[in-house]
Amino acid sequence: MASRPKLSGLQKQVLGLYRGFLRAARSKGPEERQRIESIVSAEFHQNSKNIDRKNFLQIEYLLRRGKKQLDQLKSPDTVGLSSFTFSQQ
Amino acid sequence: MAAVRSALLKHLRLTPPSIGGSPHHPPITPSLSLVIRRWFSEDLKGSFLDKSEVTDRIITVVKNFEKVDPSKVTPNAHFHNNLGLDSLDTVEVVMALEEEFGFEIPDNEADKINSISLAVEFIASHPQAK
Amino acid sequence: MARVLLRRAAATAHPQTPSLHHLFRQLSTAAAASAAPSKPKTFSIYRWDPNNPSQPTLKDYQIDLSDCGPMVLDALIKIKNEVDPTLTFRRSCREGICGSCAMNIDGANGLACLTKIQSGSSNTTVSPLPHMYVIKDLVVDMTNFYSQYKSIEPWLKRKSKIEGGKEVLQSKKDRLKLDGMYECILCACCSTSCPSYWWNPESYLGPAALLHAHRLRCNRGVQMMRFSPQVKQWIADSRDEYTKERLEAINDEFKLYRCHTILNCARACPKGLNPGQQIQKIKTLQITK
Repeated sequence: MASRPKLSGLQKQVLGLYRGFLRAARSKGPEERQRIESIVSAEFHQNSKNIDRKNFLQIEYLLRRGKKQLDQLKSPDTVGLSSFTFSQQ
Repeated sequence: MAAVRSALLKHLRLTPPSIGGSPHHPPITPSLSLVIRRWFSEDLKGSFLDKSEVTDRIITVVKNFEKVDPSKVTPNAHFHNNLGLDSLDTVEVVMALEEEFGFEIPDNEADKINSISLAVEFIASHPQAK
Repeated sequence: MARVLLRRAAATAHPQTPSLHHLFRQLSTAAAASAAPSKPKTFSIYRWDPNNPSQPTLKDYQIDLSDCGPMVLDALIKIKNEVDPTLTFRRSCREGICGSCAMNIDGANGLACLTKIQSGSSNTTVSPLPHMYVIKDLVVDMTNFYSQYKSIEPWLKRKSKIEGGKEVLQSKKDRLKLDGMYECILCACCSTSCPSYWWNPESYLGPAALLHAHRLRCNRGVQMMRFSPQVKQWIADSRDEYTKERLEAINDEFKLYRCHTILNCARACPKGLNPGQQIQKIKTLQITK
């Protein structure tokens, strides 16, 4: 890939959301900031590998969910973020 | 470029700030020059950073990025083609640059920055970078 | 009949455990099986799981109506209990007062708990409210709908002090003006059936929010109009003193005037309200205020 094609609108939205999360993380305490960054980064990278880039339905769903979570994270009352994983049997 | 800027600044400092305007200036000009003058006023004038300094600082930031092989970082390196970063990593790098230079890069600009030279160009031409 | 059954049950009971309990259990199953012939009915239900990359599908579930309540919600609960526990839908009161189970049943918006199962042999199709973002299966994202409701400030606002400092009294006559508005349960059946709302879901308030807006203006014995269902509500309430400001706030090409009296809202409303009429009243108020 010598020159990458221009970003699609959907890709720009995803990158914008990611930026939003990283900005919101800056407003939290240093320890929390690191934790938020690692959780958010892991989720974005994981989804970028696992989700078919043409599955717009799912990508748009995740965007909407992410926007809601970001709004909650932005609130000064939110001090941290945590996540859990569960294994499907 | 620098010569043009200093010439412009000199000229603007000589321009009388009167709102009424001289016969040479149509009414719109004085207010416009006031704005430009404020833009280039003393405290902001020095805020354009030197390109080589910007390049050095950017290279340091990129080298410290954990997913990057420091030996591959050159002033002309492309984030994806040379450093192997994907678009999400690029977002992280640009965010790190924001913090290094102390100002926020708007989304539409940040999306365009995909190499070190583009980052240098943008930051060196941004008056708020420090 | 009952005696025959009892004898049969007793005969088949295990000889060494002739407990009464055991007997009755056998009796009741035998009675159910023989009393009502099975009435199979197929429901085609919209399924989509955000964690599964596949596209949404209509999945068929066959249940026996002879062993099921009369409403679509009964069937959904039966399917979830007995066939597929992953089926996801909102429900709460099962009597048409909470508005949770709003969905599209055979092409018409309604509450599953108030919609009878069609007895014919054809499939009944159940899908989420149209033109809403789906969260999972029949559950839709109501964020935009609720924020529009919030935008009309659906609470009483006063300029003057309240006499006695406790509550604002209202005459029976003024209270009657709220009929047709206060019953709204915000199930979103009306708004999501409105083509105008489909095209402009962000900028047009929609019948539900407008109906509530109108309620607030029914103040002061002025002949009230009703906006979209919700907006109208507050415009028409005699205890509210911000009627003028409320009318002004929704006097907007998009917020109010995207209503083209299509009246799908009135047809969809499970509570029998007419949001479109309330919107007409708000429009009239806008020119007579």
